[in-house]
Amino acid sequence: MEEEAEAEEQQRFSYQQRLKAAVHYTVGCLCEEVALDKGMQFSRQTIAAISELTFRQCENFAKDLEMFARHARRTTINTEDVKLLARRSDSLLKYITDKSEEITHINLERKARKKKKSEDGNHNSRELAEAGVVESEQ
Amino acid sequence: MADHDPDSDSTPRTLLRRVLDTADPRTPRRPRSARAGAQRRALLETASSRRSSSQTKMTTRRHSHGARSISRSAYVQASGHLKEQTPRTLLKNILLTAPESSILMPKSVVKPVPAPQVVQPSRRESSLGSLELQLPELEPPTTLAPGLLAPGRRKQRLRLSMFQQGVPDFPLCLLPLTSSLNLTFATPLQPQSVQRPGLARRPPARRAVDVGAFLQDLRDTSLAPPNIVLEDTQPFSQPTVGCSPRVYRSPPCMPHTGAEDTELAAGCKKRSSGPGMQTNSPEKPAQFLAGEAEEVDAFALDFLSTSSGVSGEDGVEPLQDGVEEAEKRMEEEGVSVSEMEATGAQGPSRAEEPEGHTEVTEAEESQGTAEAKGPGASSGDEDASDRAARPELVSSTPESLQARRHHQFLEPDPPPGAAVLSSEPAEPLLVRRPPRPGTTGPRPQQDPHKAGLSHYVKFFSFYAKMPMERKALEMVEKCLDKYFQHLCDDLEVFAAHAGRKTVKPEDVELLMRRQGLVTDQVSLHVLVERYLPLEYRQLLIPCASSGNSVFPAQ
Repeated sequence: MEEEAEAEEQQRFSYQQRLKAAVHYTVGCLCEEVALDKGMQFSRQTIAAISELTFRQCENFAKDLEMFARHARRTTINTEDVKLLARRSDSLLKYITDKSEEITHINLERKARKKKKSEDGNHNSRELAEAGVVESEQ
Repeated sequence: MADHDPDSDSTPRTLLRRVLDTADPRTPRRPRSARAGAQRRALLETASSRRSSSQTKMTTRRHSHGARSISRSAYVQASGHLKEQTPRTLLKNILLTAPESSILMPKSVVKPVPAPQVVQPSRRESSLGSLELQLPELEPPTTLAPGLLAPGRRKQRLRLSMFQQGVPDFPLCLLPLTSSLNLTFATPLQPQSVQRPGLARRPPARRAVDVGAFLQDLRDTSLAPPNIVLEDTQPFSQPTVGCSPRVYRSPPCMPHTGAEDTELAAGCKKRSSGPGMQTNSPEKPAQFLAGEAEEVDAFALDFLSTSSGVSGEDGVEPLQDGVEEAEKRMEEEGVSVSEMEATGAQGPSRAEEPEGHTEVTEAEESQGTAEAKGPGASSGDEDASDRAARPELVSSTPESLQARRHHQFLEPDPPPGAAVLSSEPAEPLLVRRPPRPGTTGPRPQQDPHKAGLSHYVKFFSFYAKMPMERKALEMVEKCLDKYFQHLCDDLEVFAAHAGRKTVKPEDVELLMRRQGLVTDQVSLHVLVERYLPLEYRQLLIPCASSGNSVFPAQ
């Protein structure tokens, strides 16, 4: 039992390390872009600090999102939860709301298209079925 | 027998001698005490000039030490000589037969009680003259008893306690004759009082309990708790200091009738007005008025008339006894109202606020006085909600609640508790106050705003333990302001997130979780248990009681 727990922990730890490495790599890429843009260099410690910060903040975000979803008596995290999370920073909130509106719009469009397609499909199938029934009856 | 009559001083001695001679040596203490008794007898002979009562005390004490259980024969002998002996000897008999009580085991044996009863009927049989004669004899010992207690003579103390406990029936025969003795005998002092002579001298001041007042108080206490909790949710609120004694005292206020109650009420009020919360006391009369009116329509007019007239005479007569105390408190309210008049009314918005509220009450004359003072509050909703809850209350606990509500009002943010109240049916009051939200301009909002913040700034400066500059305090005030605004915004957003319009405790818990106060290890209940007083804890943490009922119901 203890060995299993330890193995699990090690697994989790290694998983975490991999995630951290991935975050670190992404942060490094972003910092390089900003460095090229602004003409300033980033030291390694800075990038490491930023990546560590990002990782921990992501953990916090996740916990908060889960809390918000539970507070609204849901089991899935919604865009509402994300908006609630970003409410502190005005620009970020605005950005997120714009994006969320875009996404919902896209979703609606997709749904509309799907509905049309499914309706056509239904019409066809119905006609076929009716025809089939008529034929069978006759 | 003939020996006893001639010397009055030596009769106790002779009696003692006789008893000792006839008593059976049962315990090993006997022979020792017999020897001691002889020595003491010698002492007694030398101190013949002593007062008879002290002598009697000493001899009886000696004898009690010596003769734990007096044989019937000896006693019969003693009683046989009753009629011929002086009253002092009769007293002696009683003292002799009283059981000995040790310091460790205060309670006395029941056995000797019948013995003095035997004595008493015999004494009663004797003429009243002997009884009356006993009076002067007994008074010195009783008066001496407290006096003896003070010097701290242990044995004397034992004697007295023995006497009082072991001879409960003794004073009965004397009751019709003396009233002074009642104090020391009719109310038998506990051994505690014997050990604390200061308390022994004060007879307990008991007054007859008003059944009506008692029932009213029961109703008050049953109704009061939910409102106490919901109104004050601040951790460091001053009202807990000032109100807990008030809460503690307000129920006991009721049983005491008359002057005591007015004194207490006045004391409570003075304390509340003392800390400089001037908005507090003007609230009280209005709140009290409203509460009273809501509670009992018949009394409302009388109360309000008393408050306006500051004379309870008109109101007292038609009302029952149970309401007298409340009326007297109303008089005090009227006094405090007049005080507040002198101090000056608050902003006009505050005057308007009780308008709608006092519409609820019936009397209109005194409303003018109440309106002029009127309590102030930043958010009308809080007032409405709190006053909606207020009608449920009865007079006994408005004082305690006033300070809390005042404290809550002074803050700009609606504590979740008040918002919970607002969710309760506050419609009648909200309906009657439609113009209020428009009338509360920014200026009145700022005053309680700042006043509340200054309250917290005072806390800050206290806990800093260092002198602070004024600018620093101003900055602290600004920070607190922003902090509370953020807090309220968050609460509002959380409530909206859950699709609600009212802030509930779940929202507060979510906020505390975000703040890091509530974690996976530390739950809200743990914090409640740690920091809040017991009354709040009982209300916030549901606990199951018998019969499948959970209190408080959720």
